[in-house]
Amino acid sequence: MARRNLIRELQSACGKKWVLHAPEDLLVYEYDGTIERGMPEAVVLPDSAEQVAAAVRIARRHGVAVTARGAGTGLSGGAIPCDGGVVIATPRLNRILELDPENRRAVVEPGVVNLDISVAAAAYGLYYAPDPSSQKACTIGGNVAENAGGPHCLRYGATTNHILGLEIVTADGEIVQAGGETGEAPGYDLTGVLVGSEGTLAIITKAVVRLLPRPESIITLLAIFDEVNQASRAVSAIIAAGIVPAALEMMDKYTMQAVEAAVHAGYPPDAGAVLLIEVEGLAEETAEESRAVQEVCRDLGARELRIGLSPEDRERLWAGRKGALGALGRLAPSYYILDGVVPRTRLPAVLDGVYAACERYGFRVANVFHAGDGNLHPNVLFDERVPGATERVLDLGGEIMRLCVDAGGSITGEHGVGYEKRNYMSWIFSEDDMEVMARLKAAFGAEERLNPGKVFPTSKGCGEVSSRMRAAIARAGPDAYI
Amino acid sequence: MVTQASVLQQLAAIAGPEHAGPPQAEEYAVDGLPPSAVVRPGSYEQAAEVLRYANSERLAVIPRGAGTLMALGNVPRAYDIALCLSRLDEIVEHEPADLTVTCQAGISLGRLREHLAAAGQMAPLDPTLPAQATAGGVLAANAYGPYRLAYGTARDFTIGMRVATADGRITRAGGRVVKNVAGYDLCKLYIGSLGTLGVILEATFKVRPRPREEGELAFALPGAADACGVAAEAERRGLSVAAAQVLNPAAAQALGLSAGAAIVLVLNLAGTPAAVARSAREIAALAAERGGRAATSPPQAGAQHPPEADPPPAGAGAPTGDSRAVVGWLSVLPSRVPEAMAAIEASAADARTSAYPTAGVLRVRCTTGDGGETLRRLREAAREAGGRLVIESCAPALKRDLDVFGDPPAAFELMRRVKQQFDPNGILSPGRYVGRL
Ligand SMILES: Cc1cc2nc3c(=O)[nH]c(=O)nc-3n(C[C@H](O)[C@H](O)[C@H](O)COP(=O)(O)OP(=O)(O)OC[C@H]3O[C@@H](n4cnc5c(N)ncnc54)[C@H](O)[C@@H]3O)c2cc1C
Repeated sequence: MARRNLIRELQSACGKKWVLHAPEDLLVYEYDGTIERGMPEAVVLPDSAEQVAAAVRIARRHGVAVTARGAGTGLSGGAIPCDGGVVIATPRLNRILELDPENRRAVVEPGVVNLDISVAAAAYGLYYAPDPSSQKACTIGGNVAENAGGPHCLRYGATTNHILGLEIVTADGEIVQAGGETGEAPGYDLTGVLVGSEGTLAIITKAVVRLLPRPESIITLLAIFDEVNQASRAVSAIIAAGIVPAALEMMDKYTMQAVEAAVHAGYPPDAGAVLLIEVEGLAEETAEESRAVQEVCRDLGARELRIGLSPEDRERLWAGRKGALGALGRLAPSYYILDGVVPRTRLPAVLDGVYAACERYGFRVANVFHAGDGNLHPNVLFDERVPGATERVLDLGGEIMRLCVDAGGSITGEHGVGYEKRNYMSWIFSEDDMEVMARLKAAFGAEERLNPGKVFPTSKGCGEVSSRMRAAIARAGPDAYI
Repeated sequence: MVTQASVLQQLAAIAGPEHAGPPQAEEYAVDGLPPSAVVRPGSYEQAAEVLRYANSERLAVIPRGAGTLMALGNVPRAYDIALCLSRLDEIVEHEPADLTVTCQAGISLGRLREHLAAAGQMAPLDPTLPAQATAGGVLAANAYGPYRLAYGTARDFTIGMRVATADGRITRAGGRVVKNVAGYDLCKLYIGSLGTLGVILEATFKVRPRPREEGELAFALPGAADACGVAAEAERRGLSVAAAQVLNPAAAQALGLSAGAAIVLVLNLAGTPAAVARSAREIAALAAERGGRAATSPPQAGAQHPPEADPPPAGAGAPTGDSRAVVGWLSVLPSRVPEAMAAIEASAADARTSAYPTAGVLRVRCTTGDGGETLRRLREAAREAGGRLVIESCAPALKRDLDVFGDPPAAFELMRRVKQQFDPNGILSPGRYVGRL
């Protein structure tokens, strides 16, 4: 009864067609890219900030929670409605409202797909820098909520460094402007804390994003090493030499073998690891930096270096990296993508620890990650049909996070805490630290009304555990990579 | 009843008698208002204890570093304790190969610079008086200079903090790794919060390798639009420009870049030698196309103005002893910088204006002999250009009648609630912030 009224009110606010409530329609909104799931009572697809605000107010009156959802490619369970309630999905809020090349900014709705901004800005020689590997599918709203990163964030920073302002709908259903009229505004940096708040403080209904000019020259290098340890030492050495490439990515042996079988990238079968390094800037700079990078790699025992100058050659060097996720899918029925960060100097030791832990648990692991900022992505291969396997993989994930924390790192570099890692928060933050965060949540009036059960430790669980990762990964598009 | 004697006694018990006492000099006054006591904690725990005490007795605390940026902010509603962080001045951790540094809040940027320079690195903090200013003070005031063009502002490279809350707990925000999305990014909230939400005790920054080559170029150009055009085109081409400033004639003159009635564009270059050399050539050609001529000698090899080494050349923002002087900034869309410069000049004849063209930030210094009349006109000019004038320093007498931050921003109600949550008793820098929070 209550649910029927809820649905009826949502329908009158957003249009009958745009409120989903039949079980079969709700199914796809149950999960994202992670292992958990939870069923909403209704899904609304609003067409304006006003409709978002109305839906939030209706949910509030009915005492049910609201969870925002972009493309559902998240890898920490952020978009899963843990407490049921209303999911506000943004596929219709997909307009680029303003593209201002002179001021190098764009105003976009939250459902705009990351890559579409760069496509639209290309006519002016501009682009939107943060490039999560899911950029053909994931939305700006999801990126802002997760403070998404990507390969080129090494040089250009993550989402937070590219958002100039936001329009939000608060948990009270009010539309508020947080910065963005000009570059700098007096007052607390609300935009800054909203980025990365995982949909728990407010719902983003507009974002003002910064656009950058395309670099004049890009050189891509691929360095092949016999040992994974050599490659990770080369990462530290490149950074220590004062070179900050645009991207510095690493793939280990298992990944390479999988990639080789799938896309024939030409990796030697006995190689231990490859680094994919991209330098960008003026032609003078890239020439010099690429020479310096090659020197470091050779010093550390690189057995082969490949260089891509033309767009086609560069794309070829990236092909293996971009095909890695799809390739891994061939090796096992499921894989669990982890996300942790360590200081760059600790990479060699922590990687060793990751291999050792996986061996102890008896799982194969393939590492393919943003090495330049110490952002690890171990992909644990497993078979969810084996009883207990999913639980053991989650335990292993916890151990790997522990390794990162013990090395002075963090439990997430770009995928967010979400549902999945909320109970690890106390490994890096004290009760007091989290109490201050809770105060911020209280200031936004969000408490348990927006995306409950996320980010902060709680013993309460989501509906159930299943393995739907593949569906979400399929949603990221055939050529999404990790 | 809390008397000055009991406050002093309590603070002496916390920090030791030699580090607590009545204010010895004028320098602890904020907008002419002296505190009853000054305390210099020697540890994070002591700083937190001072806050616990102040919070329980409802005593107003204003944290301070070296005091170089104390002119910013509204007149405090109350001021009992000056909490000086000058003794917390250590480098906590610096692992050059990680490109991160952690330091205590009271360290001077001069010392931080020296320490990092020894490893060939720099933290791109770029306030007006960099040698004395402390890391914590610069973060609290979110002070920046023209090098934001290449390096961003503190929010872009501060990755972690330790902060004492109003009720005296030592908390952490962020971490020590360069990429980290765990929990709310509270660093963003503390940066620029002017000591109204917590007391910054420690900060971790991403650092950078120092550029191998630097240089400075200055051109006299017919108008602000020309200068902005050169800067924008240089940025579009990705030339090695680390900082850009467009100076009006008065500001140029003050810096000895005398160029008659012309606008002066100052560009600081940084990068590899070959890239800097090419950039200098292309920029000179761009300037010539727009009727520009060199206003100083061509770039020389070697450091000129790396962000933390010297006062940035414009100097429009430096605090001043002149009681009639007003220093302020406004932010507009970059495309409206020339218009904003003209509007400022029309409202204050002696205004020295320096704009960071591609950021859309303008800094102004002028004198007011007419009470608040000039200020009012400047505010109006800023509004017409789509911006808001923030007054960084002016005579306390003028401040009393206005909010130095201008009209409350659209999200003010949320900001008020943040302040209420973080400092429910209103003991941290009360009244000094936006909307007198
Ligand atoms: C193959 C693959 C590769 C990936 N590669 C990367 C990578 O390189 N870097 C990276 O950072 N991430 C990566 N991800 C993770 C994911 O794509 C990002 O986290 C992305 O930002 C999620 O966007 P989304 O639109 O899918 O958001 P969703 O998954 O729908 O939601 C994510 C979170 O955002 C919140 N949210 C969504 N919209 C709004 C809104 N309008 N207002 C408030 N909150 C909102 C949700 O509540 C949820 O908490 C990858 C994922 C996949 C499947």
